[in-house]
Amino acid sequence: MSAYRFEEQHTPPPARQVTDVAVERFEHIFEVDPKLMTVHVAQQLFPNWDTLRIAASRGDHLEWMHRHWAAEAVSGQKLLDELDAGDGDR
Amino acid sequence: MTITGTAPQLSDRVLAELTDALGGEYVLTSKTARYNRARVPAPFPVHRWRERVPDLVVLPGSAEQVAEVVRIANAHRIPIVPRDGGTGLTDGAVPERRGIVVDVKRLDDIKEIDLDNRTCTVGTGINMLKLNEVLGAHGLIYPDDPASYPCSLVGGRIGTSGWSLVGSRFGHTRDLVLSFELVLPTGKLIRVGDGGGRKVSKSSSGYQLKHLFMGHQGTLGIATEATLKLYPKPEAEFSPFWAFPDFDSAYRCVGELARAGVATFAGAVLFDEWKVDYLRRDDEAYIPQPADVRALVCAVAYGNDDEVRAGGRRLLRIARDAGARYLGDEISHGDWAARHDRYATPLHGRTPAGQVAPMSWHCEDAAINYTNLPAVRREWHSIVARLRDKHPIFDDWGMFFYTSADTGVDYLTEIDVGIWEQELDDAAWAAWVDAKRDIAAVALNHGGSISACHGSCREGEVDLVPLELGGGYDVMLQVKRALDPNNIMNPGKYGLQRAYEEAP
Amino acid sequence: MTDTEPTTSAGAAGGNGHEPVTMEFLADWRNAAYNCFSSGHKFCREVCPVMQVTRNESWTPTAFHANVVAMEQGELTVEDVAEDYVNCTQCGACELRCPNTLFTGDFYRFRTRTVDLVKQMRALAVDNGVHQPGYRRWNELTDERTHEPVLGDVPVSQDRVRDWAEGLDIPIGGETILFVDCEAAFYRTSVPRAVAQLLQRAGYEFGLMREQWCCGGPAAEMGYRDQSRRFAEHNLADWRASGVKRVLVLDPHDYITFTEDYPAYFGDDYDIEIVLVVELLAQFLAEGRLTPTVPIERTITYHDPCRLNKRKGIWQEPRQILRAIPGLTFHDVDRVTQWSYCSGGGGGLPVEKPELTARISASRLDKAAELDVDTLVSACPWSERPLSEAGEARAIDVVDIHELLAESVGIEVGGSTGR
Ligand SMILES: Cc1cc2nc3c(=O)[nH]c(=O)nc-3n(C[C@H](O)[C@H](O)[C@H](O)COP(=O)(O)OP(=O)(O)OC[C@H]3O[C@@H](n4cnc5c(N)ncnc54)[C@H](O)[C@@H]3O)c2cc1C
Ligand code: SF4
Ligand code: SF4
Repeated sequence: MSAYRFEEQHTPPPARQVTDVAVERFEHIFEVDPKLMTVHVAQQLFPNWDTLRIAASRGDHLEWMHRHWAAEAVSGQKLLDELDAGDGDR
Repeated sequence: MTITGTAPQLSDRVLAELTDALGGEYVLTSKTARYNRARVPAPFPVHRWRERVPDLVVLPGSAEQVAEVVRIANAHRIPIVPRDGGTGLTDGAVPERRGIVVDVKRLDDIKEIDLDNRTCTVGTGINMLKLNEVLGAHGLIYPDDPASYPCSLVGGRIGTSGWSLVGSRFGHTRDLVLSFELVLPTGKLIRVGDGGGRKVSKSSSGYQLKHLFMGHQGTLGIATEATLKLYPKPEAEFSPFWAFPDFDSAYRCVGELARAGVATFAGAVLFDEWKVDYLRRDDEAYIPQPADVRALVCAVAYGNDDEVRAGGRRLLRIARDAGARYLGDEISHGDWAARHDRYATPLHGRTPAGQVAPMSWHCEDAAINYTNLPAVRREWHSIVARLRDKHPIFDDWGMFFYTSADTGVDYLTEIDVGIWEQELDDAAWAAWVDAKRDIAAVALNHGGSISACHGSCREGEVDLVPLELGGGYDVMLQVKRALDPNNIMNPGKYGLQRAYEEAP
Repeated sequence: MTDTEPTTSAGAAGGNGHEPVTMEFLADWRNAAYNCFSSGHKFCREVCPVMQVTRNESWTPTAFHANVVAMEQGELTVEDVAEDYVNCTQCGACELRCPNTLFTGDFYRFRTRTVDLVKQMRALAVDNGVHQPGYRRWNELTDERTHEPVLGDVPVSQDRVRDWAEGLDIPIGGETILFVDCEAAFYRTSVPRAVAQLLQRAGYEFGLMREQWCCGGPAAEMGYRDQSRRFAEHNLADWRASGVKRVLVLDPHDYITFTEDYPAYFGDDYDIEIVLVVELLAQFLAEGRLTPTVPIERTITYHDPCRLNKRKGIWQEPRQILRAIPGLTFHDVDRVTQWSYCSGGGGGLPVEKPELTARISASRLDKAAELDVDTLVSACPWSERPLSEAGEARAIDVVDIHELLAESVGIEVGGSTGR
């Protein structure tokens, strides 16, 4: 359970530079380098819960799309491992 | 014709007849109703919005009401524009000569699901994803899958003769729609299919009219009901993504995958360096990729589990032998699931200084043979580079090449261009129209077609349609005049006004 | 063109005849409006509950954004557009489903905000003297009585706001208080009674608010933002004066108001902790502080309240609770499918367009009926009235999750379910 506290929500974790144009604050969630949004479009106020909500919803949505199209998404890695082990070469 | 964007110009008499036919609630005259049906996603100078505003909008609730509206319009010689999802990218659903927008979204019922013959019959205002939510409960799917899968509608798919991401396996809209009911420009209601039967997939009886009444961009009538071909919902999906250090090896690989004759093969896509650079701007899958990733290929397969696995092994072997590096399950699964609906976010746009600017997504979508892809790619990028040099409100978002068929004969060849509409003035627009014409000319010079998906009605490209179709274009003019004697159905599109100007 | 200062002036022709307040609005919303306008792809359309039943493109998120651009261009005025913005329950489906949120909103810290836009456009209309009669009356009555007129002609008032708690021995004040929304306090009183008794059973200490007014959220939703703010200021002052540190909320609408509107009003000064009761109860179950033992023989499905599932991403805890109740047969529908579900009860829609609310709740109940259930469980008091009305025609009971849990814990809930 997570209680809402203003200060917590409005203190994002520190940014780690990932490439010249992207940073990372939450694990596996990239963000644009804020320097690129200083002239034409300003960033919105984004409480932490919102970032996490969107990222989680994205995952749920993609998962849903797979299920919508097929019962199962086949793992390429498994098939490739079989191939590399030589038992897939039929 | 005056263009003022103010009150409707139709007489009270027409308004009264329409209100009698539909009920007042479904005849919309407000400014917001009209302005919001004067646009589709394709960029257009916003200061010229008013040029395309219709006089009024109707929301018919049945085929008979559609027919009645068309009869009234035909009697009074008022232009009609069919509109469904309004996601079309060639301005088809946008009025060029005001008149009445016939918005068919209320025709969204599922009339029949025939489990034994594997068909369903629906109103043309229904969306494919919504339909498949219902069909899924029966283990069935209607696999017409444009990247606008969650938002385009069956009538618009017919109006454009749309292209599907998984068309290499299941066919495109023209293959998946078995028959449909259509209101002709005179208000007569007919049914067209392969022959006369509603659920027949192959007939030799008579002219093959189904094809004629697809992809006409609403210039020959309004489809109100369609009978669709259904497939078993796939047991398995396979969507590997691979990285390459250069375009050429990726290009060779995609060709081999497409030519391999794998029965569950549903499509393969090649992404070029520009596209990879663009993905690195903001796509979580590609931001962390090493610098030597310069091109990507993906393949997709759908079907029964055992068949997908068998085909999958073959595809993986081909890719491995072509020097591909598999990007892993997470990217492969995530990226494919996002293809049904992702598309461009305006903030992908970058000024030459690298700043984020909100840009519209514009996409050129020629059909090109495999052997001509490299040449077209070179020429298109240089057209867009020249454009951006002059007008930095344009941005090259890279190219995709996407198989259209199961043999790898031709590819939907797409260049995505960002256009900063907030800054789009008349000069930039004129330059853009020229560029579009040049882009279309390249496609034709290389033996292709201007459009694989959307149609070719927009300024610039439309000039070259007679060149593309040759004598076929004259036949188009004759057909148009025969079926629409008063030129009321979506007038102005495809230059068809010529049918009424000169003896064809 | 080179990079320049952000364009803040709206449009060319010196304001296009708009009032200064409108000009300010247009400047604020310029980029957000273009972000949608220049996408125009309508991925939001088929999840919108209003759109699903009306099929009217004038009432879509796309149109709501495009109108702003048209206003900026001097093509439309606030008078032209105001009425269209009534057609929204502020469910949040569109803005979450929009690729500009779902795929890149977190990346750019810039997402689609249709709900906010609808609220602000309604407020702009009010600022320009354009009122919707139903909204105006509703908010006048709320202002008079400090509570929403949820009982129609039967007045609601300050001295009755705690009537629901009769016989439960709940103290007034304390560090932690339970805030009860107007609908639950006056209409579906079984919900707060269930909640209060569950908390008591778990041994959790809480009180009631000293002088509780309406949270102010509905006024903000309908465009009466000064009134909303006045109500918020009253409530915050009351909390401060009585040493409240933590507010428990059982109503998703209040949860939005306290975690989105109040922070916007008070900024850094906002030091009150907000706790959603459903989450707290799920925690109690996990810790063994509450154990449902009385079997409940019902075949149910769960209605994800829009403000929890779509707007806050809260969907797991209610399911944890339902799965812990013995006897239930649970035909669940996943949270993503439910992005396109809505009761039609939110955002002031039933105030102005009750017939539209009824069509939306009927469509929600049709989906429940397909699952062959006898009960639809919700977690939002505001949804339960329209859903119950639609449920009657289909012989489906609409029950609140707190009521159901209380019953399974062996509590005699009492109060009224409004029928
Ligand atoms: C993000 C995005 C991705 C896209 N991806 C693809 C893709 O992968 N493949 C693809 O093919 N397209 C794609 N498109 C383009 C568009 O979705 C298709 O052209 C689609 O078929 C249009 O359907 P619609 O319902 O939106 O039709 P509309 O835009 O409303 O209409 C399209 C045309 O059909 C006519 N029309 C509409 N209804 C009828 C009717 N009932 N009878 C006759 N004519 C009618 C209209 O007059 C117009 O000329 C994409 C668009 C977007 C925004
Ligand atoms: S709200 Fe989002 S999905 Fe809808 S049209 Fe606008 S940008 Fe597209
Ligand atoms: S918030 Fe909900 S009701 Fe309002 S426009 Fe969006 S989807 Fe429709």
